[in-house]
Amino acid sequence: MNQREYLLRQAELIFSELNYLIRLLYHTEDYYQKNLLLNQVWNKISQLQFIHQLIVYHLPPIPALVPAPPVPTVPIQPMQPEIPRAIPPNVFTRDQLARFNGKNGNPAYVAVNGMVYDVTNHKGWSAATHFGLTAGKDLTKEFASCHAGQQWILGTLIPVGRLV
Amino acid sequence: MQQEYVLPPEPVSNEAIAKRLTDAARAEIHSGRLQKKNFVWLELTGCSGNIISMMNGTNPDLEYAITSMVNLVYSNSLMAAEGEKAIEKLMEALQGEFILAVEGAVALRNNGLYHVIGNWQGQPLTALQAAKMLGERASHVIAVGACATHGGPSAAKPNPAQCVGLQSVLDRKVIQLPGCPCHPDWFLGTLAHLLMYGEPEMDNLNRPLMFYSTSLHDRCPRKHFFDKGIFAKTLGEPTCLFKLGCRGPVTRIDCPTRLWNGYVSWPIEASTCIGCSQFGFPDQMAPFVVYDITRE
Amino acid sequence: MAKRIVINPVTRISGFMEIDVMVENQLVVDAKTKGNFFRGFEQMMVGRNPFDAIYLTQRICGICSTAHSTASSVALEDALQIQVTEIGRYVRDIIHGCEFLQNHLRHFYQYTIPDFVKLPEVSSIYQADHTDFRLPKEVNDRIAKNYFSSFEFSRLAHQMLAVLGGKVPHNHGIFVGGYSMPPTADKIIKMKSILQKISDFINQFALPDVYDIARFYPDYFTLGKGPGNLLSYGAFHRYKNLGTLYVEPLVYIGGKTESFDPNFITEDIGYSWYAGKSTYKPLETMPEPEMEKKHGYSWVKAPRYKLLPFEVGPLARLWLSGDYRKGISAMDRTIARVLEAQKIAKIIGVLLDQVIPNHSVQQEWQLPESAVGVGLVDTTRGSLGHWLKLEQKLLSFYQIITPSAWDFSSRDTNNIPGTAEQALIGTPIANTEQPVELGRILRSFDPCMSCATHVYMPGKEPKTIQVFG
Repeated sequence: MNQREYLLRQAELIFSELNYLIRLLYHTEDYYQKNLLLNQVWNKISQLQFIHQLIVYHLPPIPALVPAPPVPTVPIQPMQPEIPRAIPPNVFTRDQLARFNGKNGNPAYVAVNGMVYDVTNHKGWSAATHFGLTAGKDLTKEFASCHAGQQWILGTLIPVGRLV
Repeated sequence: MQQEYVLPPEPVSNEAIAKRLTDAARAEIHSGRLQKKNFVWLELTGCSGNIISMMNGTNPDLEYAITSMVNLVYSNSLMAAEGEKAIEKLMEALQGEFILAVEGAVALRNNGLYHVIGNWQGQPLTALQAAKMLGERASHVIAVGACATHGGPSAAKPNPAQCVGLQSVLDRKVIQLPGCPCHPDWFLGTLAHLLMYGEPEMDNLNRPLMFYSTSLHDRCPRKHFFDKGIFAKTLGEPTCLFKLGCRGPVTRIDCPTRLWNGYVSWPIEASTCIGCSQFGFPDQMAPFVVYDITRE
Repeated sequence: MAKRIVINPVTRISGFMEIDVMVENQLVVDAKTKGNFFRGFEQMMVGRNPFDAIYLTQRICGICSTAHSTASSVALEDALQIQVTEIGRYVRDIIHGCEFLQNHLRHFYQYTIPDFVKLPEVSSIYQADHTDFRLPKEVNDRIAKNYFSSFEFSRLAHQMLAVLGGKVPHNHGIFVGGYSMPPTADKIIKMKSILQKISDFINQFALPDVYDIARFYPDYFTLGKGPGNLLSYGAFHRYKNLGTLYVEPLVYIGGKTESFDPNFITEDIGYSWYAGKSTYKPLETMPEPEMEKKHGYSWVKAPRYKLLPFEVGPLARLWLSGDYRKGISAMDRTIARVLEAQKIAKIIGVLLDQVIPNHSVQQEWQLPESAVGVGLVDTTRGSLGHWLKLEQKLLSFYQIITPSAWDFSSRDTNNIPGTAEQALIGTPIANTEQPVELGRILRSFDPCMSCATHVYMPGKEPKTIQVFG
């Protein structure tokens, strides 16, 4: 397991813990107990922020995963520390993206807000489908309608390139 | 010295205790000290599989529920009366207080005439009319199973009967118990909570938290295979079924710890989870089993 | 003077049904049986992943879901040209057999008994709407007690099914190849233990109960005969090592038994509200609805064999296998259902002894670009067929003819009424205010109306749709 995967796993663990804390909060009547739990939620969120920073600023960018010939390869640029988000250098057209449907050896990619993410092993994407949506598509609209205010979800996905 | 054992005066098995409680409750009701609430079980557009699932309940079982918890006044599958005399019972129930459980979707097509549940005064009574009439006057409304909560299989593409969930035709709170079918414990537990302690705590989609709070995947006994990336290629393997289409990760339900049918097994012990307790089943949970997904 | 009697809903069946009969001089002279709701499962299957049919078609019916998974998996094996192994068949038939036990026990006790036995009014649903109860008090009370204890045994039958099926209704255990996860020794012995309890209940309670009812309601041996043609696609049959444990694919027609040939199955729309060829085979395209058809009186389609209506179900099977030949009537049908439960319990016992533990029959099944498949099985209520076609690895066509379509079919081009309609016509009604005979005769067929259709045209005479399956 490389460093990035390790961090992502840690983040996932924290998400489960957060889920658990929030559920506890639903059931807690006691004022002090509630405050204690809220503090723990804050702690978890700062841990998440820490992990997020690590991933964005301190890890090398992900090498291109896909050797698919039609994808134009852009020489890898050294990371600029002032860039807020590590954007892998691959660019995809919609037609190229369509190949990455998660079937028959192709990974499953989806695009949101111009970024392309790998959801091949994402737990919400079994059979390369997610609530009736299929991989290999630009799902910006669908994401906005179902996950409004949940931009953090994108932070948990593995970016692999840009949609042009 | 030989130890003397003091035996309890009566058997203490679960069954024996349940029987004693039932008998005691029956005596209470018989003497008029305890008033059972009227309860209506309405079957609408579906497969009538939820009432079958309720008959599969153990402690409480359906016999206990209808003899000791509530006074069941209407059930298409169980009641002795038929025809207008059966519908008469439904109309009588409307006059007093009652709890309503609904299984099946509401067919809207042709003003509801795609599903007629009976005749009343010579006129057809549609599922749509019954759902509205009873749903508006019940003290509590529980939607039991996928068809009642969101249309379910009855509303599967292309939805020829134009089926919708109960909430779509009722402007009031409906307790949602998705599942295809609903587990007897999810329903009888919710009913017990209503009778003994009032409304259970629910999430923002009105699902009781005591059953629907945790993702199935988080408690799946095959989860360690998922974490290690060991995926089954066929349904006969004991490893993670994710790549075959398992919907456990997107389904919030307690199947892995509760188990089914006398608590002997559950779907993932046999095959993939098809997300039947998730809103959107079946269309948004399809495909159920596939073999061409990339394993990495 | 003729009197019209409409009973809607017919309770204590699976799904919704209406009886509409004309009575003249205390005799039924015309009868229509109508299904009361429509979902259109066949249309829903088009465009789906083929394997999903095994799980989704189960949702047609809550009480016999396992039947549809069985027929669907057999049809897919046919389409995918998969040779199912003997162990695959054994385990699938065991799981399916458990559904027979659940279904027959529930139908006999929960659905049939309240017609003949006065139940204690512990809940309002047990208030009877007629007074024709003939059992002596001690017999009545004994059977009423068994009504409540039977809940436990039908529940146990589903528990046994779930040991291999994962859950039920709507099991996950039946799949292409027979079964999904291999049985293990602890599961096999668990099922044997449950089976013994159920067998004891059938032998010690259900059989005496049905014979007692028969003794006090002997007139039902003469009511509800129907056309007397019987059909079975075969059940628990032609195992390589065990031979036939129950019944071969056979038909009983005009007093003679002959072998069954699937090419003689047709559906008829001569008197139904559909346009197109009046008679067609299951794999031809489904006809389009046509409400203005001149001779149409109903939406009920009529499955026919050699252009004749047939009865399917436990009595048909026991008759064809030679196990029971006392007669064909409402009471014979009810007795046959309990006798069959006993027989199926024995067969499950035999098959359980054949199971090899920890043996997987699953593979990475490959889908052809296009294919055609047929799955004909005999299930709890009788003969069930799934016909399907694949195009571009997706389902492009699905046709289902359910047992209840055979038993509750409409009139056909030759003006022959359906099986249950024939069973009702000629029935004497003792008291037209309490026409208890009608419900009793219909329930003897164990109607499963969960695939039926009923349409009322606003401002017009009610019209009945019955797209079975």
